[in-house]
Amino acid sequence: MRSLLPIAVVAALPALPFINNYILAATVRALIFIALGQAWNIVAGIGGQLSLGHGVFLGLGCYVTGILFNELGVPPWIGVWAGVLVALAVALVMGSMTLRMRGVFFALATVAVSLAFDQLARHYVDLTGGDNGLALKFLGNSLWALQSRSPAPFVYAGLAFVVLYYWITRSILASRFGLEMRAVRDDEIAAAAAGVRVFRTKLLSFLVSAAMTALAGGLYMQFYQAIDPESAFGLGQAIQLQLPALIGGLGTAWGPIIGGALMTVLSEATNWGATRLGVIGVDILIYGLVLLIVVLWAPQGIVGMLSRRRR
Amino acid sequence: MSGFEAALVPVGQALLSGLLVGGVYGLLSIGFSLAFGVMRIVNFAHGDLVMYGMYVGVVSATLGIDPLFAIPFSFLLMGLLGAAQYQLIYKRFVGFATLQQLLAAIGLGLVLQMLAQVIFGADTRSAPSMFGSQYVLIGPLFISAAQVVAFIVAVIATVAVEALLLGTHWGRTVRAVADDIEAAELVGLSSQWINISAFALACGLAGIAGTIMVTYYPTDPSKGLSLMPIAIIATTIGGLGSIRGSFLGGIFCGMVQQLTAMLWNSALQDVPLYVLLLLFIAYRPTGMFGFRTE
Repeated sequence: MRSLLPIAVVAALPALPFINNYILAATVRALIFIALGQAWNIVAGIGGQLSLGHGVFLGLGCYVTGILFNELGVPPWIGVWAGVLVALAVALVMGSMTLRMRGVFFALATVAVSLAFDQLARHYVDLTGGDNGLALKFLGNSLWALQSRSPAPFVYAGLAFVVLYYWITRSILASRFGLEMRAVRDDEIAAAAAGVRVFRTKLLSFLVSAAMTALAGGLYMQFYQAIDPESAFGLGQAIQLQLPALIGGLGTAWGPIIGGALMTVLSEATNWGATRLGVIGVDILIYGLVLLIVVLWAPQGIVGMLSRRRR
Repeated sequence: MSGFEAALVPVGQALLSGLLVGGVYGLLSIGFSLAFGVMRIVNFAHGDLVMYGMYVGVVSATLGIDPLFAIPFSFLLMGLLGAAQYQLIYKRFVGFATLQQLLAAIGLGLVLQMLAQVIFGADTRSAPSMFGSQYVLIGPLFISAAQVVAFIVAVIATVAVEALLLGTHWGRTVRAVADDIEAAELVGLSSQWINISAFALACGLAGIAGTIMVTYYPTDPSKGLSLMPIAIIATTIGGLGSIRGSFLGGIFCGMVQQLTAMLWNSALQDVPLYVLLLLFIAYRPTGMFGFRTE
């Protein structure tokens, strides 16, 4: 089944222009959600460092890409790399300060960094657009500016991201680096005793994960055409970034894909139902409930449950 | 008045407002700190109980009752809610401060927040007390009467909690369980009852903090989450698990906020706090008054 799925997806691609835009847009939202989850899964799932600050890297990817395009006309396929570099620099400082802390303290420290960025983004209005956020100058369909009126091209881009990130995750899992990361996750002291350089391993995985998040931030910016402090650095985003991997299965290559797809279907369906009833924000309620259920009763996520049953 | 004194007035004003705001921050932090100190539970949903406490004030105001009179009710209601949460969710995590527990609390917080949105709507609501918009003048400084009342309530509640923990048999058992749960059970203490009552007390304090806060600070369903950084910072600076430290940490946070707002920019009033939090976690994780290092 695993080998059939990609073939089925590729076979369906030419049919894209004929599917309605709502479904296409939901698909792109799912793919971006998954890609961000895959990036977070590297440091949190494989490395065991539950960062609540990955919104920082998402935001930097978005803001740097957007500002360079709006102010200097730099096309996003160049601008996003500047975003990745800035994210790497921030991750280096942030990781050096926080990665020596234990579990919960690391999570709390990273969320503090994210909230500090939130206030800074709100304050420097000239650069970031302040509370209202930053909107990309829209040129219509343009390959140079990677903009499109239809969501269809973003489906391809999103798929490319998810496949690439899946491949990166598999490669890391199979590598010595991945083995060291898991050793650190499972028992830091034992890992150090076995000769793993614990802090260096943590920092390296933090950097890889940050760069992947910022890169996916470029896709986020091109698709949504806008970013604001709340959606980049807010607590809501910090929590959402964790959901695909947590629900699908921490540290597995398929986890974020399954979790992200499931969450998107759930939230789109409940939002569709809730709008008819005139209630808003039900998707967040679903996020919270699913998070609770997973943590309390299925800490291994869906992939973990399935593979346990198979054994 | 000389030029020097004139320049000091805004500083004094900022420190005084900071003290008053900070007292309430202190009150909401000691509940958070108590849950961590006794059970090693990082209750990320603590702020959401504060938010429900604020809505207790709103509801009582719409019923024509002064929110200040709703404080005991708010304390009891949030205490009961806290006990229920403990039984349903936190019981299995006691003693470890695990990431699973943090995530469960985050999930619970989201659920509580969205339930508030469904029940009360997303609009901003306020509930002024009988002191409404009165002001008190102290020389050249002026302060809101509602904030003075809130500060007094916060101080009374904090002193009462300290007295409970230090002066009563129950308090001694709580501290025994916090120090060494196995030894406490060995000498016949029921950690189950002690934990549940301590957690209910922590949540009841969140209720009090919310109800007095809403007399001068409007609420909406997301207010609880937005108060969590303050609680975390105040508790970390003051010392996780230390009641006195958390209260002073809250006052310190309030003063830093107001000074930053005056000297720099009110939109950036929390930035120095985040920097302080990072420095404390990195270099002095026990805070200024933390009593345990492990």
